[in-house]
This record gives sequence, C-alpha cells and structure tokens, in this order.
Amino acid sequence: MEGGVIDIGYVELFAASALMLIAGIVSWRLSLGQEKNIAISTVRAFVQLLAMGFLLVYLFRYQSWWLVLLVLFLMALCATQIAVSRVKQGVRGLHLPVFASLMASSMVIAFIVVEGVIQPDPWYSARQLVPIAGMALGNTMSATAVAIDRLFSDMDSRSDEMFTLVALGATPREAAFPSIKAAVGAGILPTLATMCAAGIVQIPGMMSGQILAGADPVVAAKYQIVVLLMMSAATTLAIVLICFLTFRKRFSKEGFYLDAGIR
Amino acid sequence: MSVFEVTDLSIAYDATEDADGATPRLDGISLRLDAGRIYDLTGPSGAGKSMLLRACAQLMTIKGGSLTLDGVDSSTFSYQEWRRHVCLVPQHASLIRGTIRDNLLLPWTLKVNRGTQVPPDDELRELLQAAQLDVPLDRDAAKLSGGQAARVALLRAFATKPRVLLLDEVDAALDDASAQAVGELTVQIVGRDATCLRIRHRPPDGKASSTFHLEGGHLTVLGMRSDMAPREMEPTDPVEASTPRDAAQPSGGEA
Repeated sequence: MEGGVIDIGYVELFAASALMLIAGIVSWRLSLGQEKNIAISTVRAFVQLLAMGFLLVYLFRYQSWWLVLLVLFLMALCATQIAVSRVKQGVRGLHLPVFASLMASSMVIAFIVVEGVIQPDPWYSARQLVPIAGMALGNTMSATAVAIDRLFSDMDSRSDEMFTLVALGATPREAAFPSIKAAVGAGILPTLATMCAAGIVQIPGMMSGQILAGADPVVAAKYQIVVLLMMSAATTLAIVLICFLTFRKRFSKEGFYLDAGIR
Repeated sequence: MSVFEVTDLSIAYDATEDADGATPRLDGISLRLDAGRIYDLTGPSGAGKSMLLRACAQLMTIKGGSLTLDGVDSSTFSYQEWRRHVCLVPQHASLIRGTIRDNLLLPWTLKVNRGTQVPPDDELRELLQAAQLDVPLDRDAAKLSGGQAARVALLRAFATKPRVLLLDEVDAALDDASAQAVGELTVQIVGRDATCLRIRHRPPDGKASSTFHLEGGHLTVLGMRSDMAPREMEPTDPVEASTPRDAAQPSGGEA
C-alpha cells in the first residue's frame, strides 16, 4: 500500500454540503417542491454515514462474533423495511418473506465470499463482513422491491389469462409462473448491465473507494470483481426467493387469482 | 342421472360492487344438472349469473351449501381436480402466446392432466372443423379474429372432455352461423354423459332442455322442452323453485 488516505476536515465536509444548493436552487426555480426533501436527504446522509463510521470504529476495536452478527442482523432488518416501503403495489404481509429472502441471499452469499475468498482472521472480522454484506444487502434490497412490483403488476395484467388457466385446473403456481419468469428476468438484467459497463464507463464505487484510500488498483479490481459476481448471485437468489415466497398472496385459498375487483 | 348438483349454495360477494352499484348476493341456490342435457341460465345483468357459474367451478369463495359431482362431494376433490371436471369457460377467455395447437394443448401442460393422453393433431383438427374454424393448427393465435379466438378458447375446454361445462356467454362474439356451429358442437361434446350450463344472451337455439332464471338472488325454472321434461312446473314461484327438490324437477327424474 502506498500514499494512504487523505482525511477530509470537518470544515471542508460541511462546506461540501453547499453542493446540495444546486439541487435546492433547481427545485426552487422549477417549483418542484422538493426543497424539504433535499434538506432531509442531505441531513440523513450525513447523520447515517457518520454514525455508521463511528459504529464501525467501535466495532473494529471491540469486535466479537455475536456483536458483528447482531449488526448484520439489524442491517437486514433495516433493508427489509426500506425494501417493503418501496413496493408500490399494495401487497400486505411482505416483511417476513422479504426478510427471509434478504437473509438467505445477501447474508449467505456474503458469508461465502468473505469466508471462502477473502478468508479474514478472525472469521467474523467486521472490517470485511460488514461492508461486503452491506453491499450485497443494498443491491438485493433494491432488486427485491423492483421484482415484487414487477411480479404483481404483471399478474394483474395477466389476470384474464390466469383466470382461464385456473379454470382449466392450473395451480396458482402454474398460473403465476409466466409472471414469475418475467419478474426474475427483469430483475437480473441491471446487474448484468453493470457488469458489462464496469471498468469501461465507470470505476465502480467500491473500487474507487479503495483507490482513493490508497490501495493498489489491481487489488481493488480483484475485490471489485468478486463483489460484482457476489451481487449477481445474491440478487438472482433474492429475486427468485421473493417471487416464490410472495406470489400466492394474490391467490385465494381456493387457488383463484384475486384480481383488482375482488381483493 | 344427475351429474352435477348444487344444494343450498350461498355466496356473499362483499368485496366489490357491480358496475350498477348493486351487490349481487346468492342465497340458498339449488340446482341439478342431468347427464346428456344442456341448460340455459338467464336473468338481468347484475343478477349474479357469472358469479353462480364461478361458484360452481369453485372459482369463488362459497359461504355455505354443497356441490357434488356424480354424487361425490366437492370437498373430496382438490380444487384443481374439481375444475378439471367442472370446467368454466369465461366470457373473455384469453389465449396464450403461440399457435392454435399450443392453445388447444395448454391443459396438458398442467399437472392436473399429467398422465392423460394428449389428443393427436387429427382430433384437434376435427374439433376445429366442427366449430367451423378453417385454420391450420400452426396458425399464430394472435392473428385470429375475435370470434375465431373465442371458439379456440372454447375448443380448448372441450378438448379436455369435462363432465360439467359451464359456458359464460361464449357465443357472444360470434356471428349467427358460428354460434349455431358452437351450439351443435356443445351438444356433441356433452354427448350422453356430460352436462352443460350456459349463460346466453342470444335467442334460444333449441339446444337447451330447460332454462334457469336468476333474479333477485333466486333461481327459478322458466321452461323446458316438452319432449324432454314431462312434468308441470311453477316457473314464477322463486321460493319453491330455489329449494333443492323443486329445482331438481326440470331434469325430469328423481335421483
């Protein structure tokens, strides 16, 4: 490692928030009514990221396996809440399936990557586990919300077709399957697109960060590759899980589809 | 021989209202369908005719009452098996992407028909011919006209040879000649063993042995062809006709 990190002073940091004035002025001039939102988002980014920073300092110093796992668990809880709140279709009872699919995808894949590829010592090293699991969670969280929206709007648009299928003796799964396929297919594409553009158009966030922090760019690239592969696997798994865990919410116990008129 | 029996069926359909604001409710509906017969179901719009058909296929939550097929209670069937035998063809049956053959064979892609013989092309062509559909099996289903698509959707249900056919205005989109052909085909498919209940808005085509009338939540029997049902009926008394015994009368025989 050479160079090391150049710290940002707090004065400079707060001065940088002047950048948000651009968004503020645009919102004001175009009467977008987003001024409050912009202020809140800026404050949230400051508070949440600095809090995370301080928390990680503490965690790195006093880390124990249960504390690290507790932090990961809480992160998954927050991700669940955010993902569920992003779903526009009014679907009830999403928290449990979303949490289950985030845990089973992000956490499992992040653990495989950290323990299998990076192999830190100790195994619960927060310095590797927290950021890697965080990246996996962030991606799967967005993909999950998009997949749920896509799945349920696709089923609504196919309600006549599904009715016909169910009337011919199809199970809910057989009737919903084309929609599940569409949702999974649509959910996988963005990750693949990011992988294709990586390194040509942009240096992905994590690699940029490591380079800025003074890491060897080749080492940073290796990490980035592992992370991209991990995200592809985690989002695919998360989307498939969430689709299969939730599609039945729009079917009655008799197995017919509850279209917009009767739910 | 009665194939299909509905006894004291009630449905509350509170979740939504019809376009005209009335919430259709069905209470204490009973009817009996005999083998080899076709029945018409009439009534003002919003009376709940489609709902009754849906309930018969268990495509609607039933509050009370029982359904039997060949004397066997519906609870002994899985919902999928029940619908395989009691097949509803909705008014707007939709076709899937693919050819006409793909559509006619769609039921055999389902678990419920696993292990049953997939009909060969010859049989499918015969069906198309009988419905006056002069189109090749490889034709893209998206290229069919509305009336042709309606007939393919109907034939798809016919091909599975269900015991009970529930047809919800399937001939509404057809011209007179094809409606006539569909009527003939229905008679042929029903044959001696199956039975059929149709919602129709066309003038009677003479295929139905009797007609049920649904209005104000009551089912009455309007009339029957004299050669099929020798007994006298009191068609205007809804209370009488909505009890199981009386509703069974148009079929002309005791169980």
